[in-house]
Amino acid sequence: MDRVKTEGLTKIFGDIIAVNKIDLAVPEGSVFGLLGPNGAGKSTTVRLLCTLLRPTEGTAIVSGHDIRDEPLAVRQTTGLLPEEGSHTLYPRMSAYRNLEYFAKLYGIPDKDIPGRIEELLRFMGLWERRDDPAGELSTGNRQRLALCRAILHSPTVALLDEPTASLDPIAAKRVRELILSLAREYGITFFINSHNLAEVQRICDRVAIIDHGKILLAGETEEIRSQLGTGRVFRVRVVGDPSAALSVAESAEFVEEARLDDNTLVVKVRDPEANNSRLMMMLIERGVRILEFAQEEMSLEDVYLAVVDGGED
Amino acid sequence: MSRNKSLVIAITDLRMAMKARYVRYSLIGVAALGPVVAIVTIIGLLMTVPATSSEFGQMLSLVMPMGSAMLSLMAVIPAGLISANALVGEREQNTLEPLLATPLTDRELILGKALSSIIPCVLLLISGTAVSSVVIYLFTVFNGLPPVLFPDLPGLFLILVVGPTVVVAIVAMMILISGRVSRVYEAYQTGTAAVAVLLVPIVAPSIGLTDPRSVWLFDLITFAVALVLAAVAWYFAVRFFNRDAMVSRV
Ligand SMILES: Nc1ncnc2c1ncn2[C@@H]1O[C@H](COP(=O)(O)OP(=O)(O)O)[C@@H](O)[C@H]1O
Ligand SMILES: [Mg+2]
Repeated sequence: MDRVKTEGLTKIFGDIIAVNKIDLAVPEGSVFGLLGPNGAGKSTTVRLLCTLLRPTEGTAIVSGHDIRDEPLAVRQTTGLLPEEGSHTLYPRMSAYRNLEYFAKLYGIPDKDIPGRIEELLRFMGLWERRDDPAGELSTGNRQRLALCRAILHSPTVALLDEPTASLDPIAAKRVRELILSLAREYGITFFINSHNLAEVQRICDRVAIIDHGKILLAGETEEIRSQLGTGRVFRVRVVGDPSAALSVAESAEFVEEARLDDNTLVVKVRDPEANNSRLMMMLIERGVRILEFAQEEMSLEDVYLAVVDGGED
Repeated sequence: MSRNKSLVIAITDLRMAMKARYVRYSLIGVAALGPVVAIVTIIGLLMTVPATSSEFGQMLSLVMPMGSAMLSLMAVIPAGLISANALVGEREQNTLEPLLATPLTDRELILGKALSSIIPCVLLLISGTAVSSVVIYLFTVFNGLPPVLFPDLPGLFLILVVGPTVVVAIVAMMILISGRVSRVYEAYQTGTAAVAVLLVPIVAPSIGLTDPRSVWLFDLITFAVALVLAAVAWYFAVRFFNRDAMVSRV
């Protein structure tokens, strides 16, 4: 079952189309990453999904509820870590009181509140800090507190807008680990906005790439990575001097790019299904002894740069 | 349920307002100023005429309405400060988004934010009146003057009915503009304009309109204006309450 499903979701501000007819599906239990550069429309998408903004067109079903027709039910079953989450706490209230306030607003029964807060603060390693004013915590601790707040009411979906953007690498790693263990422990479906490719590749099992409000690509992280990797760049290891191999590759009209990398020939081949064997034949004819002919693994970064640049105009 | 959540908002907002130093000091300052001004005005002017003369009664009819009006003016001013903080302040602090992401209805949110200003102002009105009343009574008695019971009936009406109505108008205006301004002080300046209606009963007696009929008349005019203002502002605040506008940049 899809925990988040958008249907032609669109948001227009004046003459800016921030989110442009997007269709996304996030299955239950997944950690989904919405990847895109600044201004791509990630935050707007999250704000639409948690009913902070109303769609101009289209709609979305979040935790089984329509964002247009049942905003209260959506908000009751959805958690939000806003952009710059560490700055969205009440700085003069203690960590505990920040959570207590929201626990009441989410309608958690009074008798369950202390237990729930203690459980989460311990889980996040913040229990010792419970009486500190939120404003006096480190950025990383504040971010974890904001994450506690997002899942306080046991939502089925948690929307995290750039959860590690302002954190140092260690604090960011900690938050990523917490997100993964929350997904495991509590079965929460995560919808994570990020412009950090490495992060998405590390924690998200599904990803969509957004730019100028449009989804350019969506699917399982591994699938996207290998799909785009296939039939593009190959590494050819040869016995002995590779310069002959390079000149063969450069002469072939179906090779888009050829270079040497550490005595290995790296070639970008157009239509590899048809042309890889032709290339091998040409190399063999020129007496090049091939040791290995392998597809180069593409990182999500390559995919991202390829599609985001391609989608520029 | 709904009243409960609104109350949670109001109490938390108040607690936070009291933690902000400038709010705390101005609240306490203004709270103290209301009765002080009322007491000084009334006692000060009463002492300028001999207690036995007929002028004493005349002076009383001049200072009583002015004292009540000043007392309510002072108690109503903090409403703007608290509600500007409770609404635009949350936006300025970036705490509004998580709040709006909770399953609060618009009604619960508006009521909560309104109560956070209305409750302290009503408390200020009542406590300020009680303090002034006791001080003025004791002063007149101990100085051998005819005992003065402050406030008189039109004064009580001004303090307990007109004052809270003005507070409601200020809060509604604040809600109305909260989606359109981004700074607390802008909201505060605009939203507090409604207190001007309380100047009517202060100014009226000082231009000689001191007979009981005109005192009542001006109190009722003030009330009518405040009521219309409150009703219209409240209607538009609820009618045009717009989460989109509150989240969007200005
Ligand atoms: N409230 C708003 N009013 C006007 N334009 C907005 C508003 N919010 C976002 N935008 C515009 O919409 C586009 C997408 O913004 P956003 O969703 O914040 O992108 P991202 O989170 O991917 O950086 C940007 O061009 C931004 O300037
Ligand atoms: Mg953003």
